[in-house]
Amino acid sequence: MNLKSKVPCIPIEGSISYEDWLKGRRFRREMGNLVAPEIIRRKTSSSDRRLKKLFNGERGLPFTPTEKL
Amino acid sequence: METKKIHAALADITAEQDPTLKSLKLASLCSALWLEHGIELVVVGGSAIEILTEGAYASGDLDLCHATKASLPVAERKEIMGLLGAKGGPRNWQVAGMYLDLLGPVESFARTPYRRVEAPYGGILLMKPEDLLVERVLMTFYLGESQMARDCAKKFISVILTGGVAVNWDEVRRLANLPEYRNLPQCVQFVKEVADELKIKSPLHPD
Repeated sequence: MNLKSKVPCIPIEGSISYEDWLKGRRFRREMGNLVAPEIIRRKTSSSDRRLKKLFNGERGLPFTPTEKL
Repeated sequence: METKKIHAALADITAEQDPTLKSLKLASLCSALWLEHGIELVVVGGSAIEILTEGAYASGDLDLCHATKASLPVAERKEIMGLLGAKGGPRNWQVAGMYLDLLGPVESFARTPYRRVEAPYGGILLMKPEDLLVERVLMTFYLGESQMARDCAKKFISVILTGGVAVNWDEVRRLANLPEYRNLPQCVQFVKEVADELKIKSPLHPD
C-alpha cells in the first residue's frame, strides 16, 4: 500500500482551500486508522454535564463514518 | 458581515450534523466576525487536531484562543456573540448546537506559521502542528500512558508522516528540547514507533 498522500497536504506556508481540505478528509482519517481505533473520543471530561445535556447523553455529535467522508 | 449573511451561515452551521464540519464552519464564522473587531482567533487543542487529522477525537466543544495580544471587552464580545444568538459568555457560549470556549491568549513556541484553511465564511487559523505534536507526546507520558492520549498522538503522527499535514521537523526537535517540554527522547521514540508501524522511515530518528 502506498501511504504517501495523493490528496492536497495542509501546508506550512499559505493556506489550503476548503475544497482541498474536504478532499483530504477521508485520506487523513484512513491514515490515522492504520495506527489506532477509528473512534477515540474521550469517555469523560470536566465538560460532561453540559455536553451530555446538549447531545442527548453523548459528548458530541456522532462522527461521520470513514466511507462517507 | 451583513446580517443576512450571518443568519444564512448560522442556519447552515446549526443544521450541520458532521461534528468536524460544524466545528470548522463555526470557527470560520466567529473568526470572520472577531476579525472585523481586530481580533485574530486560533483553533487550539483537540479541536485543531480534529480539523488537521479527522481523528474522531474531539467532543462537542470548540476551543479558540486569540492570537492578537488583547482580546475584546466583555460588552463587545456580547455584541458579536449576540449576533449569533449565542447563550452564555463571556468565555463559554452555546451557539448553533455546540459549545464554543474562548480560552485566552494563545500559547505557541513554534516559529512556523499557524496553519490556515480557507473555510466557507472566512479563513481559520489552526494551532501549529509542531506545538501540537510535542504537546500531545508530553500528554501521553504525563498522563501516565493514557490510552486515549496515546491514540490521539499516534493518529496525528500518522497523518503527518503520510503527508496529510506538513510539519517542520527541525522545529519539532527544537521545541522538544525547550525547558517547557524537555521530551525529545519521547518524541523520537514515539514518532519511530508510528513510522515502524507504517513501515516508513522516521524523520526524527538519527541515521
